[in-house]
Formats: sequence, structure tokens, C-alpha cells
Amino acid sequence: MAAASAVRAVGRRSRRLFDIFVADIPWTVSSKELKEYFSQFGSVQRCQLPFDKDTGFHRRYCWIKFSTPQDVQNVFQKDSHILEGAKV
Amino acid sequence: MYQIRFLTVAPQEKGSVKEEPISEIQTRRMWQFDWALNKLDNSVRKTGRIPKALLLKIFHEICKTGCPGSNQTLLLLRSCGALLPEVLSPERTELAHMIWDKMKELGAVYDTSHYNALLKVYLQNEHKFSPMEFLARMEEANVQPNRVTYQRLIAAYCNEGDIEGASKILGFMKNKDLPITEAVFSSLVKGHARSGDMKSAENILSVMRMAGVEPGPDTYLSLLNVYAEKGDAGSIKKTLEEVEKTEGYLMDRILMQVIFSLAKAGYPQYIEDIKERIRFERELIPDAMNLCLTLVTHGFEDISFHILKSFNHLSRDNTDQGSFFLQHCVNRDMPMNKLKQFCNELKEAKMHSAPLPFILRCALEANKPALAIDVMKMMKEEGLPLRPHYSWPLLVGFQKEKNLKGIFEVLKVMHELGVELDTETYTDYVFKNFATSETARTQLKKNDCLFESVGLSVAEIRYEAANGRLNNVLSLLSSASTPPIDIRQFRNSLILGFKSSNDVHLWSKITELLYKDERYCLTPPGPTEAVGYFLYHLIDSMSDSEVQAKEERLRQYFHQLKKMNIVIPTTHYSGICRLLDSSQVPELIKDARLLSLKSLSTDNIPESAKSDVSALEKKLEKRKAENQPITDVLKQLIHALCEEENMQKALEVKAKYEPDMVVGGYAALINLCCRHDNVEEAMNLKEKVFPKNSPVALDTGKYVALVEVLGKHGRLEDAINILTEMREKDVPISGKTVASFFRILNAAAMRGEVETVNRLHETIVNLGLAETAVLHSPLITVHLEKDDMPAALEALVNCYKKYGKILQLHNIYCRLIEKGDADLLQKVSDFISREYGDMMALYDLFFAFLQTGKYREARKVIETPGLRAHSGRLQWFAKKCISSNQMETLEHLVELTQNLFECDRDEMYYCLLQLCEKNGDWGKAEAVWTKIQEENVVPREKTLTLLADILEKNGQVVPFEVPKVRYEDTRSLSASNVEERKIRLLCKKNNAKEAYNIFLKMQGKNEFHYRSYGTLIKALLTQNCLEEAMEVKHAAETHIKGFTLNSAASSLLIISQVRRDYLKDAMAVLKGMLDSGLLPTRPAVIALTQTLAEKGDLKNLQALKNMLEDITKSIGVSASLIANAIALAHTKNNDLDAAVEYLEPLLISGAQNPDQAVRNISYLLRKVSEEGLEPALEKFGVMAERLASQFGIYRPVTDLFLQYVSADRVDDARSLIQRCGALVEEKSTLVSFMARSASRPGQAKKIETLLELIPEHLDMEIAYCYLVRCYELDGDVASVKAVYEKTKAENIQLHELSLKSLAAFLKKVGEPVPFTEPPETFRFYVEKWRKRRLEAS
Repeated sequence: MAAASAVRAVGRRSRRLFDIFVADIPWTVSSKELKEYFSQFGSVQRCQLPFDKDTGFHRRYCWIKFSTPQDVQNVFQKDSHILEGAKV
Repeated sequence: MYQIRFLTVAPQEKGSVKEEPISEIQTRRMWQFDWALNKLDNSVRKTGRIPKALLLKIFHEICKTGCPGSNQTLLLLRSCGALLPEVLSPERTELAHMIWDKMKELGAVYDTSHYNALLKVYLQNEHKFSPMEFLARMEEANVQPNRVTYQRLIAAYCNEGDIEGASKILGFMKNKDLPITEAVFSSLVKGHARSGDMKSAENILSVMRMAGVEPGPDTYLSLLNVYAEKGDAGSIKKTLEEVEKTEGYLMDRILMQVIFSLAKAGYPQYIEDIKERIRFERELIPDAMNLCLTLVTHGFEDISFHILKSFNHLSRDNTDQGSFFLQHCVNRDMPMNKLKQFCNELKEAKMHSAPLPFILRCALEANKPALAIDVMKMMKEEGLPLRPHYSWPLLVGFQKEKNLKGIFEVLKVMHELGVELDTETYTDYVFKNFATSETARTQLKKNDCLFESVGLSVAEIRYEAANGRLNNVLSLLSSASTPPIDIRQFRNSLILGFKSSNDVHLWSKITELLYKDERYCLTPPGPTEAVGYFLYHLIDSMSDSEVQAKEERLRQYFHQLKKMNIVIPTTHYSGICRLLDSSQVPELIKDARLLSLKSLSTDNIPESAKSDVSALEKKLEKRKAENQPITDVLKQLIHALCEEENMQKALEVKAKYEPDMVVGGYAALINLCCRHDNVEEAMNLKEKVFPKNSPVALDTGKYVALVEVLGKHGRLEDAINILTEMREKDVPISGKTVASFFRILNAAAMRGEVETVNRLHETIVNLGLAETAVLHSPLITVHLEKDDMPAALEALVNCYKKYGKILQLHNIYCRLIEKGDADLLQKVSDFISREYGDMMALYDLFFAFLQTGKYREARKVIETPGLRAHSGRLQWFAKKCISSNQMETLEHLVELTQNLFECDRDEMYYCLLQLCEKNGDWGKAEAVWTKIQEENVVPREKTLTLLADILEKNGQVVPFEVPKVRYEDTRSLSASNVEERKIRLLCKKNNAKEAYNIFLKMQGKNEFHYRSYGTLIKALLTQNCLEEAMEVKHAAETHIKGFTLNSAASSLLIISQVRRDYLKDAMAVLKGMLDSGLLPTRPAVIALTQTLAEKGDLKNLQALKNMLEDITKSIGVSASLIANAIALAHTKNNDLDAAVEYLEPLLISGAQNPDQAVRNISYLLRKVSEEGLEPALEKFGVMAERLASQFGIYRPVTDLFLQYVSADRVDDARSLIQRCGALVEEKSTLVSFMARSASRPGQAKKIETLLELIPEHLDMEIAYCYLVRCYELDGDVASVKAVYEKTKAENIQLHELSLKSLAAFLKKVGEPVPFTEPPETFRFYVEKWRKRRLEAS
């Protein structure tokens, strides 16, 4: 049983490899805008932008999950990303 | 840094005089103060101001700790003046008073410094008060005023223009002979001016000079301020020019103060002139910001804005200027038109890229809904995008106030602004205010803010699903008004809903709807895919215990889905099967199969027919006749025949239907042939179906069976080939396989086949299939069987040389003694003496003589002068006697060791009694009792209890008082006793399930002994049967009052509970243990702590911390563990600030307080790094670097560095080492890191990276030793050789231990050893190495 659950964990971790982490996101941007922006680099599977339920503002960082590692490479090929005038 | 050292040392010294806890509290306060000081200090240094919120936060923090220190109070008081430019003066004074009173209440003792600080605050805030009364209050409190007090009191009088009052204080100063300083004169300038006497004010400067005090900036500022108050621009100009001439400088800061005075006095027209004199440089920004803030606070926003624009030329690309200004304007409730004007101007001046969105954020943060809405309207006018999430902070605000009207208003406004609110808005911020989405809908409608959208519909479904109201979900989904929605939109909520509901019918209904209603399967793959995906995620999201608990419901669910003709793709089906299997509900797989697309085409044979050979045969023939596929039936038939062990028939069937045979059938046949010793047929089949070069492999058991039968029939080469094939095909090797290997080798040894044993053993070991000590022993056994003693001895020595193990020694000794071969006996003895020392050799000899019944010789040996008791060895032999029922030998052992130095006599007698118990020999037991008395041994309770037990069980009277801890159940010879022994025996053999079955059968009939319950529970827990164990525990608790598990069992229980996520229960068990004085084991505590941390469960962690406070040392848990766990929990709760605020002071105090110290943060770093919590890693990184640079604490930053190394983030590691080079001094940390890396395979890279990054700081000998070890563990011959070559090339001396192990490794893989192998034993070099390592670290 232990082995099986370990495999699941590893599977999850390896799935994570197509994730990128984005920080310093301006408050005006929501996951919709992020998805739109990052779609130019590849197909975005999921965009996780945590909001603070206590204030209604997001935490200024998010995870973008791409379908393939190539997409991630595409993102990193660009030196800087500017979203709504802010460098992210 | 020094200050802190000082502060922590002092209370410790005090603590040694008084009682201990005080020093603890004091050190605690020290670091807290330190932390607060740092924070305020930073703020003041960087910005020249303190945000009110920060001040209040620290204030509350200090209040919470309960006993404010004098420093802390001072710190707070001093912050209530000019350092709060964003707050109006009266409010600041009020704050100061509040702090003053509260701290006093908490027991703060005020001295002169506090009163002076309060005075300063009064002055800065221009607070009106009576200086004389103030003095009186100080006297009342018995606090002596000093020079500073008087100076400030004079200033206070002067602020009011009260020269008379000032003179009175001056009189006090003169009486006390206190010097009159520039500060006093500056005050007098102001005093005279404010009393209307400008002449005297101006005259003060010459008075000063006469008194020998040169006017400085303070005086000029005072003078300039009074001119400003009078609006005397001419004098200001004159003074400024004069000062510039005489002093050659005037600080820009002073000019800014003059600007403020002019503004306040109502002469804005003169400001421009002063402003032009200021050089607006970057360094001036903080001061200018404070001026701007102060001006806004006092209502001079236009002047402030004017000054702000002077910084236009300092703008940099992409950075917005003036945000602080806008924010403060919002906070001070500036009207919208004013804000609009500022925004426009900033935008035009290109100082700010998005001022409107910025003030919207400020309005939202400050919870000003009206303003926020106005700003949004403005943004719409300007054509800026408006987004749904802009409304969230407003909704949160109203939600907190429970203001439904406000919420409706926001919804309406957003609609008017043309923003269609999305699902998240409704689910997270609107529906939360209502019990159900239905009431929400009605309420929205009633208040005219119901705006139908897909977002709203999705939200309704999500909300109902997440709250487990599946019936509502069903009606929503089936409602005609629901628009098309992709299932993915609400999949997660629906899974939650399914999990919290037990209504299988609803599950199925909803699933059917999703499958059949095309509104919910919008994406191309269609319903099959979507529902399959949903099912997979449903199962995946359930924990093992949930799946187990819902097994029956899931089964029904699958069956109902099947009835609804729902099918899912094979990929999802097999995924689900994997999940079910790992959740240990393999029976469900069968049911899930109903849904697989594929299973529809193949027929399903009823289970019952499976083993019925004749039915299968008929079916097979029928199918054949009908020309239908027969493979499946054929396979079943073969399996059925195998089960019946009917080899003959099975082979016939095989021959008949050869073309339709499938792999599985062949495998079963091979196994059958092996069992029936039909080696020919087995090998034929194997060669035919599973040739060596085919990728298909048999399973391990069948390979082993083949090897066994081949070995038995002397087909050694074939057996070796099979073993090689196992290696090549990477067949999994389990403990059971190793046991089988041993059985095969031993069987060959028993047959005396030396070559077979040697060759098979060599193959098994060289191929790395298995390596345990027991596997080597047949090498010796085979010679013993053949009675070839010289060969046996040689094998023994070889075994030791090759594998470092001594095996079968006892048997060799015994045989030699029996044969009377003194020469060889001497040889063995010499060998053992050389390798293990004389003592071991003597014990071996002693046991051998005992074993062979040569008691006289045994006595001679054991009476060797200087020989001491070695309890491990004695126990070994005693146990051996017990298990092989050698009473006579054991009696002799006990007797002969009577005079052995340091021999635990009670232990020896206990062993003897154990054997008596086993044989039920009460007579012997009674004799033991007499012997014990004779020898004057004081038996332990354990021994007495055992003795009493034996006597009672055999119907004898117990001749002594039985110790109290004995079981209450004293019924002897009852049926339960027999069962109970069975249970204990089964437990001992690790057959907990069987034991549990007996327990179940017996339950209700009889009660068991205290000890039996414990034994059974422990055995069950070891095999991970938590439920059963709890059942037994429950039974025990009802039968035996005050039943508690012992420490080991409780710890196992905790571990099992943690594994199943029953954390609350685990906490309760731990608490119970501690309450009854039991210590938990280290693994239990670690497992619990780490899991709590993973869950972010701070409350329980805190509780755990308190519970473990006193015992961490005794259970060997480091203080860092809990600290790391708490920090991790904060991180998991997304509260990084709290994590750092918690951890940092602990690390600081830990560096100075060697007891209970929290030093390392490697666990925390590893966790956040592994989980990709980058902001957390970054935050802790910053903290670690700060600790290093400010406090000289390098361990955290070293941990960070090593974490980077572990995660292969070489660049990060490199830049870190450039910033904090001193971390390499943490030598011991580095060494243990390498040691840890070298303890598991696959970690060589870490050491390589270290060698690459900080070669000059590593002890090369040690680093390379570990590196070699790493590659040896990996079995990476090429790398091992490469490293060796490298050390040679770089002239690095490898340690002998490395060389020794390197030689062994190379020999093992059949490579030549390119150096002379060090001559001594491994053990010798290990010792040497250990010493070496200690030196290095």
C-alpha cells in the first residue's frame, strides 16, 4: 500500500514538471487574463491563482500548468514577461 | 549582534541564582524585543516613518506576551510622534496615552526615559498640556527629571509663547547646575516669537553666542519657522542667504520643514521660492515623501502634489511614482473629483502608468465601497477594462458586516457597469451569504439583481454540489432553463458532493444525466471520455479509507451505471483499477470492469464455472465446434487443471489446442510441471514460450520454481541461465524470493553438492539478485554435510573475507569437538581471536563444549581469568536452547555462568523458567525457585510472575506473594488459556490475522490476559490492521479496567493512525500515553509531527509542542523538528510572514542557547522545495541570509545551500555562496550531508555538485570517500573507476577505508584492482575513518 501511494505521489510530482510559477502579478489581472497571456506559449491546462478569501485580493503569484514541457521552454525563452505594464 | 549576546547572557546568570523558568521567559522577551526593534528600526531607517498599522501590530503583539519590557514600552512611545506622518496630531497623542496606560496596566515600570519620550511626543504633536503638572506627576511617581526633561518642558512652554513658564524651568536647571544647550535657545527663539516679541527672538542668537553656544541648524530652523508663521518672506530669504554665507550650507530637510510651516500658517505663495532652493535628489525621497504625507494629512494636498511633481525628473522606466500620495489621499477620504485631477495629472506627466486602477485598489483595501464604485465608473468612462474580481474585496467586506443590501448594491452596480460576474464571484463571495443557492436566487430576484448568466448557473450547481445537496444538483441539471455547461466547470464540486453523500441512486442519476444530456459534454471526446474522467477523479480524490468505507456503495453505483448503459474508455477504466488496487479493494475492480468499453464485447463467464473442469471442457468443445474464439475458455481450463494438480491432463489439453494457447496458460503449466518434478517438460515449455531473448518474463515465483527443479536434477547450467535471465529481465526480488534462494541452496547443500551450491550462490550474489548473510551459509553447510572439515573451515574464512560475515561457526566448532580435531579447532579459534578478539573466541568455544555435552571443558573455558559476561552472547545461546528444547544444556549454561563476572543471574533463571513454561515442567520450575534462593538472587517481578504462572497453570500452590501487576484473571487451566497461548504464538510468528480470528471466535466467551491483548494489538498494528487493532483495544478496555497499551504498541498505533489520516485520534493516543507516563517512540512522534505540518494544522502542532516540551530529549527528537513543522504548517496555510516571524527568533536564540536549540531548517526547506512552493523557499532564503549577515548564524543558510545542491539548483547554490561565503564554515553540516548522501543509492550527484561548488572548503579525503561510496551503492563501475582515476590525477589521498571498499567492489564486479588492497580488516578501517571524520567536523 505504501508503495502504491508513493507511486501516486511521484506521478503527481512528475506531472508538476510542466508547471511554471509566476510571481509579482498585478492585482488587476485575474486568471482569465493570465490564461490568455500564457496561451501564446502553448496550451494552458490550468491556471491556479490563489485568492485570499479574507480580503478578496489574490496573492500575486500563480501556477500555470502546460500540457507539454516544450510549452514551458517557450515561456522561459522570453527574457521578461510584461503583463499590464508590470514585470512578472 | 553583541548586544543580543549580552542580553541573553545576563539573564542566564541571574537564572542560575533564582529558579530556572525565569531565565527562559527573559530570553524569550529579549528576542521578541529584538524582533520588534528590528522591524520598527528598519521602517524608520528606510522611510523615516512608521505605518500606523505596523505600530499597532507590534503593540498588540507585546500586549499578548503579557510582560512588557522597559525597552519595548520606550520603543512604542517614541513612535507616536512625527514618525507617524499619516496620522493627525491629536490622534497620535491619543495613541501615546493609550499605550502608556495599557503598558502600565501590564506592569511596565516607567523611568525618566519614558517620561522624556512622552514629552517629545507631546512636542512633536503640539499637544497642549501643563508642564508643571507633568513635573508633579513625575515626582509623584518618584521619577527624577533630568536635563532632557527640563529642555523639553521649556520647549513646551515656548510652544505656547509662555516665556515666564520657560524661565521658571530655566531656574530649576540653573539650581541643579545643568548646562543650557542649543536646544534651550532654539526653544526660546520660538517662545519669544510666539509671545509676539520678534525682537527678543532674533536677539537670542547673539545671547547664545555670548553664552558660548554657537547657533546650529536647530536654532536656524526655529528662527525660520517663526518667520514662516508670520509670513515674513523677506526675513526668511535674508536668513537663508546669511546662513548660506556664514555656514555655507543649509539642509534641505530644514527647508522642507519651513515649507510645512508656511503651509500651516497660510502663506502658500512663498513656498515656491523655498522649494526652488531644495535639490531634489534621490536621497531626499524619503523626507520629501514624509513632507507630502504630512501636508496631505493636514489638508494641503495641492501643495503636497506640487512638491511631488518635483520628483518627476527622478522617474525610472516602468516604476510608478506617487502611489504613496494617491494611497494617502484615498485614506484621508479625498473627494473623487480631486482624486481624478491628481490621476490625470500624474498620467499626463508620465509619472504613473495606471493611477485609476491604483486608487481603486486603495479604495478596496481601505474598504471604501462608495469611492471604489465611483472609481470603477470613472474607469469605465476612460475605457479601462473592468473585471469581475474587482468586486470581490467589496463583497468580502459586506459579507463580514453581514450587509446583504451592500452585496445587492454591488451586484447591481457591476451589472450597470457592464461586467458579467463569473462563477467564482457567485460561489466564493455571493452564495456564502445564503443557506442555499435557491434562497440566494430568490433574494437576488427580489432585490432586482438577478442577472442570468452561465457563470450564475455554474455557481448554483457548484454551490449545491459542494454542500452535498445532490438532489438540488439533479434538479438544476435537469432544469430546462440551465444553459449548456461543460462538466469540467463543476467537476471538483460534484466530486465533493458525491463524497459527502451516500445516496447511490442520486449518484447514478446525476452521472446518467451528465452522460446523456448533451448540454454537459461540450468538448469533442464526448460523454464517454468526460464521465470516465469524472469517475477516475472521483476515486482518485477519495482516500484509501474512504474507498474502503464506501466499497459497497461504489459497487452498487457501478452496477447502476452499467444498467444505464454507461461505458467509459479503457484508459480511464484501467486508471480506476489501479486506484482501487492501491486502496486495497481489489474486489471492486470486477465491478468497475462492467463499465469498460472493452468488456462489453467479450462474454462474461459465470464465476462458478471457473473451476469446474468438465463444464469448461464441454464449453470449449462447443465453442470449437461453433468456430468461436476459445482462448479465454482454454486458459480457464488450464488454470482449473493446474488447480487440480492434474499435470497429465493439462499437458494433453495443451497439446490439443496448442494454437489457441495464451501466455498465461503456459506460465501456469510451467509452474505445474515444476511442482511435479517434470523438469523436461517445464524447460521445453519455457524455451518455447518464454525464450531468453523474448521481452516477456515469467513471474518471480515461476523462475524460482524452475531454478529449484533444475538444481534438483543437476542441470546446473540451465539453472544459472535462468538466474541470469531473471537479472536481465529485471524480475522483482522480494524477501520471499531470497528465502526461496536460501531454500534452494540449502537443499543442494544437504545433498552435499558442493559445485551446485558454489555456482548457484556465486551467480545469485554476483548478479546482485540478493545479498543477505543467511544466503552464504549453505557454502559452509555443504562441507559440514560431507563432513569435510578443512573445506568447511576454508569456506568459513572465505565467507568472512568476501562478505565480512562469520557463519555456521557454532556448528563447525561442535563438529570439530565431536571429532576431536584439536588442530583445526585451534586454527578456528586463532582465526576468531584475530578477527574478533579473544573473548568472542572463548564464548564460541564455551558454547560448543556445552552443546556437545563436554561440560568439564566448558567450565574450564568459562573460568578463564578476566572473562566477563557478554549478555548478548549468553542470551543468544539461551534462546537457542529454549527453541531447541535443550533443558540439560541450558541448566548447565546457568550453572556454569554462576561465577561469571557481571552475569545477570535473574536473566539466566528467567530463561530457564521460560523453557519450563514451554514444557509445562512445574517440578523443574520449583527447583529453579529453590536455586534462586540458594544463590541469593533477588528475582525481578517479571521472573516471579512467570514462575507463579507456571505453578498455577499446573495446579500448584504459589509459595510466594505474586507481584501486584499480575493479571486480574487468575482462572487457571481454562479453555481460554489454550487459545490465548495460540494467539500469542501466532503473534510471535507474525500471523496477526490468524490470531485475530481466534480472538474473534473467543470473544464473548472468555477474557484474555492483559499481556495477550497488548501482544495481539501490537502484532495487528505491525501488519497495518488498524481497524482490527482498535477492535481488540476496545474489547480490552471493556474487560480490563484501566487497560492501557504499552509504549511500543501505543507508538505503533499512532503511526498507523497517522498513516490513515486519523490525526485527531493519534493526538488523543499520544496525550493518553504522556498522561500515563509512557514515552512515545521517535518514529511515532516524527510521523505525527510531519503529517500535522503537512496539513497545516497549527493548533494541534502547538498542542503537540506543549506536550513534548519536556521529553524531546528523552525520545531523541530534536527541537528543530517541531519548529520546522510549525513553520511548514504556517507555509501550508499560506502565511509565510507568520512562518518567518515564528522561526527567525527561534533560530537567533537557538544559536546562543545550546539546550533545546532550534538550529537547522533543512526539513522545512526540503519540503517547500519538493512541493515547489517557490515563494516560501525564497522567503526562508531571505531569512536565512539575513540571519547570516546580521547575526552571524550560518546554519540556516547552509541548509538552504545544501537544499539547492540536493535539488540540483546549481546556479542558485552558486550565487548563494557568493553572497554568504562564510557558510562553508559549517563543516560538520557539510560532512553529515555527504554522509547522508552516501547512505542511499542515486545521490552521487549531490557530492559532485558540492565538489564543483566549494572544492577548496571540503576535506578532499572525506568528500571523495563518500563519492566513491555513492557510486559503489549505485553499482556504477565506470564512475567508480573515473573517480579513482581523478583522485590519482589530482593527487588526492583516498582513505584506506575507501580503498578497501573500492577493492571489494571492483573484485565483486570482476574488475582488476589497480592498487594494493589495504591489509587490515574493514572493521579496523571503519574505526579509523570514524576518528578521522570526527576530527574533520
